[in-house]
Amino acid sequence: MTRMRSIHPLSEIALVVFLATLLGVAWNKTLLTDAWRGGTSQAAVVAQAAQAAEAVPMPVGLAQAKELHDSGQAVLVDARSADSFTKEHIAGALSLPLAAASGKKPPLPKSVTPDTIIIAYCNGFSCHDSMELGKLLIKAGYRQVFVFEGGLPEWRDAGYPTAGGAS
Amino acid sequence: MKRIDFVMVLRIALGGVFIYAAIPKIVDPVAFAGSVAAYRILPYFWNYVAAAVLPFLELICGVLLVLGIRVRTGALIIGALNLVFMVALASAIVRGLDIDCGCFRQGGEKTTPWIALARDAVFLAMTAAVLRYERIRAAQRF
Repeated sequence: MTRMRSIHPLSEIALVVFLATLLGVAWNKTLLTDAWRGGTSQAAVVAQAAQAAEAVPMPVGLAQAKELHDSGQAVLVDARSADSFTKEHIAGALSLPLAAASGKKPPLPKSVTPDTIIIAYCNGFSCHDSMELGKLLIKAGYRQVFVFEGGLPEWRDAGYPTAGGAS
Repeated sequence: MKRIDFVMVLRIALGGVFIYAAIPKIVDPVAFAGSVAAYRILPYFWNYVAAAVLPFLELICGVLLVLGIRVRTGALIIGALNLVFMVALASAIVRGLDIDCGCFRQGGEKTTPWIALARDAVFLAMTAAVLRYERIRAAQRF
């Protein structure tokens, strides 16, 4: 058994943690920069939300979003622009661009009642329109609003059906 | 000695589990950030920091355990990580969050917090065994 000079165990732990942090930050530099840019405004929103209690939609993951969508329990709502929606969207989703939803009553079909489960999505984790849209929908009186943060990219990567005239 | 073999197997298995857990998270940090965010513990940006750093910590410690280098350091960190995971899982159970544990492969079949908690308890016991043996071995050197 090779015997290595031992340094203080705590320093060794600190060294490993430091190394992991360095590697992790270097490896995910772009992602972290993106998250930070989106994060500053989001942090303020979270602080407000703590006061406004539960005005922020809950996140759902890919599997749950798919399950709710397939079983017809939830309506998927695309927060991106109408153009992007036309190009490609999750099959069966409704288009509700964030800009269009800013008015008094979001233009959703009558079949969507305040108790319908609504899942907002946009272009993945770096896109915050779905979260904003979710908040608007909650304000507008919809009670079961969720955000699928993985959005179209995660859905597409999973091989789930999309629709639109992309070609 | 039988006991030494057994602890060595435990050590390599534990290290292997953590390497196996780290790789999919390193490959897809965004999905892992989503899993971390689902716990609703950290503020927005810190979900990404955790998703960036945790997998590398798991990987390094896993490699240390498998190779048998600085075993105590690796095992101590892995033990601490396991405790953190268990607290997070328990808090998810208490708050009634129906989420995937996000422990290994991201997405796919859901592992409920209860199962993940039980699994982590096993890993923690393995870590304790490895640490105990390390202490005995260190004492025998002198």
